[in-house]
Amino acid sequence: MNIEKTQNAAELEIKVRGRLDTATAPQLEAELKESLSGIEKLILDFAELDYLSSAGLRVLLSAQKTMNKQGEMVVRGINETIAEIFEVTGFCDILTIE
Amino acid sequence: MIKIEHLRKEYPNATPLKDVCVEINKDDVITIIGPSGTGKSTLIRCLNQLDPPTSGKVWVDGECITDKNCDISKIRRKMGMVFQSFNLFNHMTIIENIMAAPVDLLKKSSQQAYDDGMELLRTVGLAEKAFNYPDELSGGQKQRVAIARTLAMEPEIVLFDEPTSALDPEMVGEVEAVIRDLAKKGLTMMIVTHDMRFAREVSNRVFYMDEGGVYEDGTPQQIFDDPQKENTKRFIKRIKIFEKLITSRDFDFIKFNNDLDEFARKNLVPKKSLYRLRTVFEELCTQIIIPELEKDFVLSFQAEYSQKEETVTAAIRYSGKEFNPMDSGNFLSVSLAENASESICHSYSGEDEFTNTVTVKVK
Repeated sequence: MNIEKTQNAAELEIKVRGRLDTATAPQLEAELKESLSGIEKLILDFAELDYLSSAGLRVLLSAQKTMNKQGEMVVRGINETIAEIFEVTGFCDILTIE
Repeated sequence: MIKIEHLRKEYPNATPLKDVCVEINKDDVITIIGPSGTGKSTLIRCLNQLDPPTSGKVWVDGECITDKNCDISKIRRKMGMVFQSFNLFNHMTIIENIMAAPVDLLKKSSQQAYDDGMELLRTVGLAEKAFNYPDELSGGQKQRVAIARTLAMEPEIVLFDEPTSALDPEMVGEVEAVIRDLAKKGLTMMIVTHDMRFAREVSNRVFYMDEGGVYEDGTPQQIFDDPQKENTKRFIKRIKIFEKLITSRDFDFIKFNNDLDEFARKNLVPKKSLYRLRTVFEELCTQIIIPELEKDFVLSFQAEYSQKEETVTAAIRYSGKEFNPMDSGNFLSVSLAENASESICHSYSGEDEFTNTVTVKVK
């Protein structure tokens, strides 16, 4: 997995490439924990995300909870497979998907 | 006609034949199939002593040809051999290639050898090429000449070692047609082949070779439509197996996934199936089962991909008390695993080494 961050004032965009799974989810979790202070808009760009497991979903859920308190979170660029995962787990009702 | 008893062939680094015991009857057309390296070619090379066996006995018409005192050239006259790579003499014309052995060894007159040779060339459809040189022929034509040359020695059995595997695909048919004709005429033959369609058509018996011997022996219908033994089934359905044992919670997850990728790449598993198989492993094993197991656990993950049916199944086996991952209450992982699968079944047997088995049919 590869994470690329772009911050513009209180807006943070994180591009995640590769697999977000048991092995890599802690890395994204740590990255978010470090970066979310003072952020009002979080954009997660998943255009190049190949694989997403429950470990990754838990990190998204936790980020969504944090952002609910301080602003908004948007997930962008998901492919068909990731969309299906959001659908079957009910995450499409929790997340804002663009 | 031929009886093989406890045939064994050892090389310094491998033992392709451990214990072969079979009988070959007159008029049998036997195709020998099986994975690479299971001794198919070695078996026929041991039969005519091109590769002397390490131990065991071969009887031909009541004569023990593995006996030291046996006249092996006499036996070889009874057993013709057709190789992958034709082995024709390039400096001789086609008809000379065919006449050489009957004149030298069978002591036929040149006229007789010529007449018989021309007749054989007609049989394989190449009479008009009698005065050409091998280099002027295509691969398929050369192999047909090689078959005619073998038949010129009037063998009682012909051994074919992958007769079409060195040919361009468009030439396979003409050589197979010649072999099919010979089968109809009642010539006893043993044919090593990778072509299952041809094996089914041409033979009355199929030897599936594996584990150092003739693993299963049956009619083409038995072997191809209703194989009885596990390895035969896997081979016929072209089932590829991925298997891993996990004995620690800190197992190398990244390596596991890389190995799974490599398995999928090598065996042409469709991307979607690989994605779902990965989900099944991660959600059921990593997220649910492994955290539940006691300290000294063993978990076996086995995935089977049938190239013929393009289906993936997975079997997860583990020790310990009865535990069905679908009842774990881990809603997220259960729903992802369910979404990736057509069915997930758990069974428990207190008597087995792996007490729990979860069988998953991947979507």
